[in-house]
Amino acid sequence: MSKKAIVSLLILSMIAVACATEEAVEEVAVEEEHDHSDESTLDMVLERGFVKCGVSGSATAFSETGADGSITGFDADYCYAVAAALFGDYSKVEFKSLTSAERFTSLAAGDIDVLIRNTTWTQSRDTELGNDFGPTTYFDGQQLMGRNSDGISSSSTLADIDGLSVCTNAGTTTEKNITEGAGLVGATITLVTVEKFSEAMDKFIAGECDIVTTDGSALVGRRAVNDALNDWSIFPQSPISKEPLGPVYRSNDSKWGDVINWVVYATIIADEYGVTSANVDSVDTDALPELGRLFGANDGELQSVMGLDKKAFYNVIKQIGNYDEIYSRNLNPVGLFREGGANDRWTNGGLIYAPPAR
Amino acid sequence: MIRDNKFFIENPYGRWVRDNLFSSSSSAFLTFFAGFMVIYSYRGIVGFILNPERMWTSVTYNMKLYMILAYPDEAMIRVWLSVGLALLLGGLSIGFYNSGKTISLGGIFQKLFTISAVIALLIALAPTNTNVIQNDGSIEVVEIIPQDVRMLILGPSLVLTLAFFFLKNIKIKSLFNTAKVNLTYCGLIIASLYFIKIPTISLDSSGERIIPDPFLPIASTTYIPWTILYVGMLIFFFIGSLLKNRDIKIMARLIPIGWFLCPLFIFSWIFKKPLVELNTVFSADIPSILVFGIIGFLIIRFSDNQSLGAYRTPINIGFLVLSVVVFLLPVVFIFKATMVLLLLLLVVSPAIATTKEGKRQLFIVWVVSLFVLTFLIRGASSDTMLVTPTGSIFGGFSLTWLLAIFGTYASFPLGLALALGRTSTLPVIRIICTGIIEIVRSVPYITWLFFASVMLTVFLPSGVEFNLIIRVLILTAFFSGAYFAEYIRGGLQSIPKGQYEAANAIGMNPFQRIFLVIVPQALRAIIPTLVGSVITSFKDSSLVAIIGLFDILRIGTSVIPAQSQPVAFIGRNLEQLVFLSFFFWVFTFVFSRRSMKFEKRLGLGER
Repeated sequence: MSKKAIVSLLILSMIAVACATEEAVEEVAVEEEHDHSDESTLDMVLERGFVKCGVSGSATAFSETGADGSITGFDADYCYAVAAALFGDYSKVEFKSLTSAERFTSLAAGDIDVLIRNTTWTQSRDTELGNDFGPTTYFDGQQLMGRNSDGISSSSTLADIDGLSVCTNAGTTTEKNITEGAGLVGATITLVTVEKFSEAMDKFIAGECDIVTTDGSALVGRRAVNDALNDWSIFPQSPISKEPLGPVYRSNDSKWGDVINWVVYATIIADEYGVTSANVDSVDTDALPELGRLFGANDGELQSVMGLDKKAFYNVIKQIGNYDEIYSRNLNPVGLFREGGANDRWTNGGLIYAPPAR
Repeated sequence: MIRDNKFFIENPYGRWVRDNLFSSSSSAFLTFFAGFMVIYSYRGIVGFILNPERMWTSVTYNMKLYMILAYPDEAMIRVWLSVGLALLLGGLSIGFYNSGKTISLGGIFQKLFTISAVIALLIALAPTNTNVIQNDGSIEVVEIIPQDVRMLILGPSLVLTLAFFFLKNIKIKSLFNTAKVNLTYCGLIIASLYFIKIPTISLDSSGERIIPDPFLPIASTTYIPWTILYVGMLIFFFIGSLLKNRDIKIMARLIPIGWFLCPLFIFSWIFKKPLVELNTVFSADIPSILVFGIIGFLIIRFSDNQSLGAYRTPINIGFLVLSVVVFLLPVVFIFKATMVLLLLLLVVSPAIATTKEGKRQLFIVWVVSLFVLTFLIRGASSDTMLVTPTGSIFGGFSLTWLLAIFGTYASFPLGLALALGRTSTLPVIRIICTGIIEIVRSVPYITWLFFASVMLTVFLPSGVEFNLIIRVLILTAFFSGAYFAEYIRGGLQSIPKGQYEAANAIGMNPFQRIFLVIVPQALRAIIPTLVGSVITSFKDSSLVAIIGLFDILRIGTSVIPAQSQPVAFIGRNLEQLVFLSFFFWVFTFVFSRRSMKFEKRLGLGER
């Protein structure tokens, strides 16, 4: 072969590459052209055989990516619970890790069926963006953390941070909340904004700022990890903002919304009765008719009307567990406990409450 | 004092010190100043790395995540096959292109002497203490290198340094081939996997951490594949050497072609299911290869037939119309693609198939490209069978490599085409190419990435949507293609006009003139620039984290610092940043050193 031949082979191969790419694109296009716009997400998901769940993938204890690439956490467990209800097999989930910027676009575009990505329920997100919010699974709130050696204690208030420097991550509502809150009580603060909360923490540890602020769950987690229970204090007692976190789905799809909502409610009801994945098989459904209805021990009509298997919620509890189990499994290791907080059972003064199953 | 001291005049080392470090008072000042700065930063870095606050197991424990994100375990054989293909080809190339350069035993000892002397110096200069910031904000001084540990490492390294110092002056005539020496070094690295132990974390079957952490050999699961691949590489090295000794000329063409096709095979192995449906093979592929093989043979056979001269234009136009018709008809895609290839053959064949030998070679090329095309289309159109827990197959270092290699690979022909188009005499082509180059180059890469991730879906027809990674790949190809085009244009302009005229004078057609005379010389002149731009695209690939892809940097800065289970690595982002900067440095450094050797071999800058 001569040089000419090599040159022509190279060119021919380049064209081959171009053609191959084009073919791949064409295939995808054909696949996507099937229009689902007038179909409920529920039918679509059941037909597909797995649920696409949008998570963060890098939110400690809520949805984190493990060393083997698996996704675990509080939010991830609710994705698994939805799959358990729909298919009787919790593993029928495809996770999609989303940044906070792309989560709503991704949901609206149909890349995911449900977004369970520690997303705060706000008026504008609910009404303007074409989303509907499910029941709140975790009540969070913005708090501040400072060093005891600087005179900060857990009973401090926003007025005590006058003249101090505050580190926070930019581009979220945390920045706005702290500015507004400090302005209300007349405290002048130096705001140091960084891109990520972990950077804010690094600055706080290095002494570059006196106070660090973000959602209370993250602060508690970092304080536990750094073994600083006696050195750092989280304040004020009642958070400076309300951050109810829960599942999000596209609006105008109540069939699908009902499934998500009742998966959450089922875990809460099971918790109220003390039914766990360990004892769900030995529940006396005759003595507890509500559980009988929920777990499909009788006719299971309530679940069938929703388009689910009558054992759907039994599968949720059996495979994933009740609310308390999901909470303890994921959040206790990072130092977040239910007792006495907003996430306690409503009978204990918390906010976790579900409508009755009947 | 230094100027007059006998040692600094007579001793060769002393003279080197005097001439290079203390030649004047200002240079002596600079030596001290720079030396102080280097030592100060070195001590700072060591203090940071050995700080007890650091948790380096967060890096070692997540190594698989870094490399391949969530690639399924049962499909790992594909990754190893891909790495193996590259390594075997590498072994073959090293063997075949072995320059026969040799190094004496003294030379090896000279290198070892330098290395051990540097190690001894670094150990001696390392700090004893470092500062740890306590939770209450106070600073505590912690000993990181106890005196006895320092002596334990310093002693042997000093002894080795002295030993190598004396050994390097021994006059032994035995010479070693550099390629073989380098392969031995690789072998030592592989062997170190067996006994060097790096702390990581192990968990028992119920997910509980085993305490105390046993020191496990790093990558305990990977040393067997690495050993197999290394042995394979050695075998191919000797095959390559054998072929070189037998003087088999065809290999000089086959190896570059192999390297050219290697990424395509790797791509299809990693991404696609290697499933062949015999039904389509018999109904579409084999007929298409046969039909187009015969048509191609006829074209080549009659391309210089004088009696057909009058009909050449009608035939060309006829084929053009036919291919447009075929493209619009609902036929198997492979026919459409091959039709385009056939048009190209029609254009090329009068230039090449002028002799009997030329015809024979062109026909071989034609058949080979038919097979390659068929393989690629079959590979690209099958669905991926891989299901990953995170939904994305590419992530981590494999994504970085994909972007860097594909960016270079696809952008090179694109850049060449754009550069040639820009220097073309046809105004339409020139304006279009200039427009593309200028538009692409005048907008930052990040903006283009956002374009790919957000806006491209708006421009595409509704319902058409393709994978974000493919979008980013296409965009990267265009972006680096535009830069390559400008570099290549610089190369083209450095070719003297006499070369064009000479090519014309010996009767070359435009195609031959460009690809046989001008482009090879132009490319040769711009190799250093191209290497620089490849390194840039390797580093730039970490920008894709902004649009939500899990590249190695995002894994290090967001994913790992969020892990709380099974082991809490919350907030461990500094370790990841140090590791990642070292990682990127190793790759870019090796790459630039190799390219320097390559330049030397081509004799760049010597004429």
